[in-house]
Amino acid sequence: MASPSKGGGAIPKRWGVYVHIPFCRQKCFYCDFASFAGRERDEAPYIRALCGELRREGALYRSRWGAPATVYIGGGTPSVLPLHLMEELLVNLREVLFMGDPSAMEAVEFTIECNPGTVSEAGFRLMRQGGVNRLSFGVQTFDDALLESIGRIHTARDARQGIEWARAAGFRNISMDLIYGLPTQTLAGFRRDMEQMLALVPAHISVYGLQVESGTVFARWQEGGKLLLPDEAECEAMYDLMASRLPAKGYERYEISNFAKAGCESRHNLSYWQDVPYLGLGAAAHSYLDGQRYGNAEQIEAYLDGAADGSARREEEPATREIQMEEFAFLALRTSQGIEKERFQKKFGATLDAVYAEAIHAMKKKGLLHESKTHVTLTPRGMKYGNLVFAAFLL
Amino acid sequence: MAKKNIRNFSIIAHIDHGKSTIADRLIEYTGTLSEREMEAQVLDNMELERERGITIKAQTVRLDYKGKDGQMYELNLIDTPGHVDFTYEVSRSLAACEGALLVVDAAQGVEAQTLANVYMAMEHNLEIVPVINKIDLPSADPERVKHEIEETIGLDTSIAVLASAKTGIGIEAILDSIVDYIPAPEGDEHAPLKALIFDSFFDSYKGVIAHVRIVDGYIETGMKLKMMATGKVFEVTDVGCFKPQPKDIGHLGVGEVGFVAGSLKDVRDVRVGDTITLAENPAAEALPGYRGVNPMVYCGLYPVESADYDNLKDALEKMQVNDAALVFEPETSVALGFGFRCGFLGLLHMDVIQERLEREYNLKLITTAPSVIYHVYKTDGTMVEVSNPAELPPKTRIDHIEEPYVKATVIVPSDFVGAVMEISQEKRGEFKGMDYIDTNRVLLTYHIPLNEIIFDYFDRLKSATRGYASLDYELASYQTSRLVKVDILLNGEPVDALSTIVHSDRAQARGRQLAAKLKELIPQQMFEIPIQAAIGSKVIARENVRARRKDVLAKCYGGDISRKRKLLEKQKEGKKRMKAVGSVEIPQEAFMAILKID
Repeated sequence: MASPSKGGGAIPKRWGVYVHIPFCRQKCFYCDFASFAGRERDEAPYIRALCGELRREGALYRSRWGAPATVYIGGGTPSVLPLHLMEELLVNLREVLFMGDPSAMEAVEFTIECNPGTVSEAGFRLMRQGGVNRLSFGVQTFDDALLESIGRIHTARDARQGIEWARAAGFRNISMDLIYGLPTQTLAGFRRDMEQMLALVPAHISVYGLQVESGTVFARWQEGGKLLLPDEAECEAMYDLMASRLPAKGYERYEISNFAKAGCESRHNLSYWQDVPYLGLGAAAHSYLDGQRYGNAEQIEAYLDGAADGSARREEEPATREIQMEEFAFLALRTSQGIEKERFQKKFGATLDAVYAEAIHAMKKKGLLHESKTHVTLTPRGMKYGNLVFAAFLL
Repeated sequence: MAKKNIRNFSIIAHIDHGKSTIADRLIEYTGTLSEREMEAQVLDNMELERERGITIKAQTVRLDYKGKDGQMYELNLIDTPGHVDFTYEVSRSLAACEGALLVVDAAQGVEAQTLANVYMAMEHNLEIVPVINKIDLPSADPERVKHEIEETIGLDTSIAVLASAKTGIGIEAILDSIVDYIPAPEGDEHAPLKALIFDSFFDSYKGVIAHVRIVDGYIETGMKLKMMATGKVFEVTDVGCFKPQPKDIGHLGVGEVGFVAGSLKDVRDVRVGDTITLAENPAAEALPGYRGVNPMVYCGLYPVESADYDNLKDALEKMQVNDAALVFEPETSVALGFGFRCGFLGLLHMDVIQERLEREYNLKLITTAPSVIYHVYKTDGTMVEVSNPAELPPKTRIDHIEEPYVKATVIVPSDFVGAVMEISQEKRGEFKGMDYIDTNRVLLTYHIPLNEIIFDYFDRLKSATRGYASLDYELASYQTSRLVKVDILLNGEPVDALSTIVHSDRAQARGRQLAAKLKELIPQQMFEIPIQAAIGSKVIARENVRARRKDVLAKCYGGDISRKRKLLEKQKEGKKRMKAVGSVEIPQEAFMAILKID
């Protein structure tokens, strides 16, 4: 079993904790995440195992690095948990990561993902009391027929109601997810979705172009020719709408798919792109510790079997210097800040130019990259063709 | 070994008729290799050969066999390649033998290619022992096959051996027949040395190792020898036989087959077909009977990474050591940069070389569509040979063009005659004759442009005859044809490496098909890519590769990073197999698009 070095390594400026809740009421038709419907029986043992992993691994990194700057409970559907299990989880997180000290949690960004079909006033109050201060709502679209056709278990009304309850419970920092390019969706439909979402004034917005992933219901439909996706031109128009409309309403595009009011960027998600370490707890959770990536067992059973002794966590391919450079580069390029030359040089002992001059030159020539004295960033066109740029930064 | 106890023979067979399995059994039976050492298909030891089930390089092995008379015999088996492209290699091997086993599948009977090789063996005056193999198959009909052999080849089958290499039936009988019917070699041990080089390979320790047949004289370690054609003088460091690994035994006597090495570093000094003689007391004249090598098919080979040019050159040179049929010279393409124009015996040969270059030398290559050699008669009265369509002189300077025609021999069950005729006609073939081999098999002869053969003639024959057609062809003549060059423009720019020469009657159709195929093969890029096919300045077909609207992973969070990197790696890998021509990225397959038109 590979475990990160317990002692050495520099103390990072900040670190984050990710907690994965793999349960869902129903699996969405486009979803290829580690999430499972109909496994309510496993919820209690799962939370117990998770808390065990937290007390072992969380405590270790807390003792090395102090309290984390961000905590993110994602899924699956975290909000599907019965309240007593949610409480058990939140209490344990607070005790292990923050020594039970509420004041230590004030500066922390603490997010829970919610499915509007699984929320309640009481639930939000419980979360708020447990230290959660940010909610991420999977709204996806405000078109009820479309919601049903993609396997969502909620309506637009549920989404509005949920946000109302959340605000009543004291949440100010609320994010919403939308998807474009859904089957039968039109540009006009997506525009209505955007406007309805903007009317709810979230602090943060994520907009994702639909990707048909293998193993999903959508993939099966596509194979059978039954997935009626909008054509490329229409999807491009939706993309363009997103890229122009949201900044016009004061949401800065700080990452390819993420927009936020000033100061409301998701610090946790930025960690992923800014080379900040994170500890992942739970089935299928991934960690990035001391420069190495790890993944926990994806299946609930395998996780339950291995969580107690730590064997559920496996090292992904060893992080060579090349891989570290590649990931540093393509992840940073996802953000509006781009690659900070000085950080690159500090981390790798080589200038960005020494490693990537050719790629940078080629991508600038194509109009996909912009270079300043201190940074290299995607141009707006570069954001559209990000994969071309990212691939060019592979060594 | 005394001459009278030596037998030199090869095996002639159509692909799949069991030549290699018979060779394996002979090696096994004579104890040349123990069963443990025996890898299946010992002689086909190139990875590629195993995969394709064909023999590309001729191999040699010496078998020691105690005959019925109680005497020891030295049987030298010279394995021969089994494909229409490698006719020349077959001829070299046959010239080193006194006899041959003709292996014919007891169910399938005589095939066109078997015929061609048998005729070649007859040209070399070899004694031929028929072996009817696979008699254990339920569909075996040895009597019919014997009859076929007598009818079509005119061989006496009274000495034919019935065998099943798979089960081991008849192996001893084959060995006895070799001793009984194949003549011992002749030659004068005391005459000045004459040894034929019929193959060679490069060994990193011993240098170039020549496969030889001693015709007169003998070779011993330490002798000073001379290549008669190249004049290269060398001292023998190793001389011996193949068991089947080279074994240094210090001596090869008259009539024997084996190898000789002498720190020959330069592959160009060891020409297959050359005669080795004594440096001090050379033979008066070299051995006759070897044909020159004439490549029939040419294509451009270019490294995807231009930095690989020297590596490609080295690899081609190394490949040439073992392959007298491969020729190449440097070539430049506007689209592809620096590469080589390479000549091959045929399409399979081309495929094999290309694959070996990629596999064994780890090169990424772009192969341009194959072409034949055209004789272009210019208005100034001169003639140039053109094997690269891009080099065809301007129309105004061409008086006329001649293209190579071959005599193609096709054998099919009579039910398929109609299909073969239809395809052959479509391929501009002139019908020359039709003969019944037996009651249900027909031999058709066509005069047909080689250019049509190298496209998909054989593939089409195979699919139209459920795989029953067998084909053999030989160069017949050059004939005047109405030929034009079809150019391809991508994004308005002509791509020289995509030009092709076609008969004017089908230029329109080819142009349209080619443009359509390219549309399929060229991936969407950030901008729209117009594809045009043109003859001179006249555009005959147009297609469009639509622009890719966007290409970006929407999501990439903590759990996704390794997976997303792998996706990007795939994208990058795909790109590596593309060649940037101007601003357009063209995948390798696109340069062979013309072959993929249906």
